[in-house]
Amino acid sequence: MLKGRLKFIIAIAIIVLTVSYLVYGGVKDTMVYYLTVEELKAQVPTVYDSRVRVSGTVVPGTIIKDTNGALEFQITDGTQIIDVAYDGIVPDIFADDVEAVVEGVYAKNDVFEADTLLAKCPTKYESTDSLYENKETSY
Amino acid sequence: MVETGSISIFLAFIISIYVLVASIYGVKTKKWDFVRSAENGAIAVLFLLIIATIALLHSLINLDFSLKYVALNTSTDLAMIYRFTSLWAGQAGSLLLWSLVLSIYTAIVVLQSRNKDRQLMPYVLATLATVSIFFVGIIAFVESPFEKLPFIPLEGRGLNPILQNAYMAIHPLTLYFGYVGVTVPFAFGMGALLSGKLGDEWIRYSRKWALFAWTFLSIGLLLGARWAYLELGWGGYWAWDPVENAAFMPWLAATAFIHSVMIQEKKGMLKKWNMSLIIITFFLSIFGTFITRSGIISSVHSFAQSDIGPLFLGFIAFILLFSFGMFLYRMNDLETENSFDSILSRESAFIFNNLLFLGAAFAVFLGTIFPILSEAITGNKILVGPPYFNRVNVPIALVLIFLMGVGPLISWRKASFKNLVKNFLYPILLAILTVIALLAFGMKDVVALISFSLCAFVTGTVFTEFFRGTRVRVKRGENFLLAFMRLVSRNKRRYGGYIVHIGIVLIVIGVTASSVFVTEKQATLARGESMELRNYNLRFDGLKQYTTDAKNATIANLTLFEGGKQIDTIAPEKNIYKYEGNREINQETEVALRSTYKDDLYIILSSFNEDGSATIRVMINPLVNWIWAGGLVLVLGAIVTMWPSRSKSRQEAFIRYTVRDDDNPIKAS
Repeated sequence: MLKGRLKFIIAIAIIVLTVSYLVYGGVKDTMVYYLTVEELKAQVPTVYDSRVRVSGTVVPGTIIKDTNGALEFQITDGTQIIDVAYDGIVPDIFADDVEAVVEGVYAKNDVFEADTLLAKCPTKYESTDSLYENKETSY
Repeated sequence: MVETGSISIFLAFIISIYVLVASIYGVKTKKWDFVRSAENGAIAVLFLLIIATIALLHSLINLDFSLKYVALNTSTDLAMIYRFTSLWAGQAGSLLLWSLVLSIYTAIVVLQSRNKDRQLMPYVLATLATVSIFFVGIIAFVESPFEKLPFIPLEGRGLNPILQNAYMAIHPLTLYFGYVGVTVPFAFGMGALLSGKLGDEWIRYSRKWALFAWTFLSIGLLLGARWAYLELGWGGYWAWDPVENAAFMPWLAATAFIHSVMIQEKKGMLKKWNMSLIIITFFLSIFGTFITRSGIISSVHSFAQSDIGPLFLGFIAFILLFSFGMFLYRMNDLETENSFDSILSRESAFIFNNLLFLGAAFAVFLGTIFPILSEAITGNKILVGPPYFNRVNVPIALVLIFLMGVGPLISWRKASFKNLVKNFLYPILLAILTVIALLAFGMKDVVALISFSLCAFVTGTVFTEFFRGTRVRVKRGENFLLAFMRLVSRNKRRYGGYIVHIGIVLIVIGVTASSVFVTEKQATLARGESMELRNYNLRFDGLKQYTTDAKNATIANLTLFEGGKQIDTIAPEKNIYKYEGNREINQETEVALRSTYKDDLYIILSSFNEDGSATIRVMINPLVNWIWAGGLVLVLGAIVTMWPSRSKSRQEAFIRYTVRDDDNPIKAS
């Protein structure tokens, strides 16, 4: 009976330890810092060649699309600007002034080579700002 | 209509409070009239919320832009069906729907059991009323769907075009049926803790409701995956996005629960474990609603953001403190009636299944809240992305599939070597043959090989079960088909469960193939040029533009050849929605999908140029259809499992039979 119990405890311990190990290893190997443009610039020599995620607003007029579908654009947090190069699926809402989230590597030539591009709406979804432009008369 | 709606919500709030107070007071003082009136109150709440929902639907359909909710989610050019579904496109409407579904469930609970379990039911009702107070309170005072704008706009903002899709119309609905459904088994658990009636009743009710909620969560997850696949245009169906995880976590916990309740029913074991599990499941369901609704964790598709976050956090803290507090208070009454005999037994297979499901839920939870956690602890926002979730969950999933094969055939209590050989010889041979066959076909990916062979193993054990059961009946002189039908219908829970397992196997096969063996290619083609991908060849026949009332569309006409033979024409689209107002999202890429049982050709028009050339991205995703087919099988199995028995007595007789079969002396209550 006691021996049976011990077996159980060992088996459960193995499961718990394995899951913990998977979680720990998974976090350690795949974690990515989420930075603003300013924070990225502040860490400049050390940040080169490590994988980070950066968010910022797309600078209007900087989106250049080549005929193969590859993109170049700039993002800013209001103080600093970085160049981004991206080749891949472009979200439908990606445009000037949207908040873009890019993930990739900041290369030594100061171009952020992104392999992931996400875009968020310029305004909060539940904002009523846009409705004001459409109002005719107040009552 | 608008006033009617907001008044109804307000009344529903007041009556929910009454239901809580009256049911507790009634049961404490044994004044059953109060309990009866609380039950009637729950039904009144249902009617009031139906009125409120109809009022909001009326405003949405008639485009009453004086309401903020209507102006934000509809527009004059919105098709009728989407005016209807925009009921759950935004925050306030979703919360109204949550409350409505909860009141429907509460009414069903009341009607089903108003004359049973006089001690237990008032507490169950009180728990449901508490949850109702919270949600109805939010729509009454914080996020009212009937909030007016200070002016009447001429045009509404309109529904995000990616939400204008048949799957999006029903996916949130099914998910809510699941999310809210989890509340009911939780309420029975709390009812048992509060009343001290910790016998078999609560677990019996909870099991049925948990299974019901689980089925809807599964459907909701699959529909969501299908929607993402068709609409988001990146070629996948699952991205470990916080909003997806939000639905996946309660699913994992609920899956653990619907398995472990069987052990409590049959053996009287795991009582504490089950109680904790249902509390955790409910917590994850509310937490899921919270992350979807509050936008606290940035997600690509968080469709609503607002300030209800702190309220939710407070409610979650209250639930956890109160329910685990009650749990500790009743701890001594939750003693197990049996103990484990051997590690090689069905009981222990269930335990391992539970630990792994919970481990997966924990890993997903941690990954989802990691940015918040890391920012709070270290000051840096750190993300863990899909690689983390895959690394942790794939091994866990593989072991779970293995257990899914072991569970049905291993003996209760203690499996002998003879039992193991007798039951598992053929399934193991099948698994080995599968590996050999796949290696012969040149498959080299280790994870895929393991996954497919485990799937073969599970299929082997499930068919063994069906075959043996049918053979016994055939020997008694029934014909094969009749024997099979009777086998399933006399034992719906067991064989329905096996059908669900087959559905899961199909899903696993589809997920494995489509995540390991994707082929992807992008090319910019001039008119008449072709691109080659595997044995397919795609010829670009030029762009075409057309205009409808709602949009300007550009189509790339493509002709598909397989092995030199023309087999199909394909036309991915890029749409610019016409709209003179200010809708924020007006572009939509419409994926062209050519789907067969063998593979999906997923074609996107990335961009087009003035010279008539187009950039086309093509993916070949093998066996994706197996996922959706698996979903159908899963639903079929769940329906079989939940199908009511013709006569109650037979079911009861069956339970007693099983118990005696197991040499089990329990079953006192």
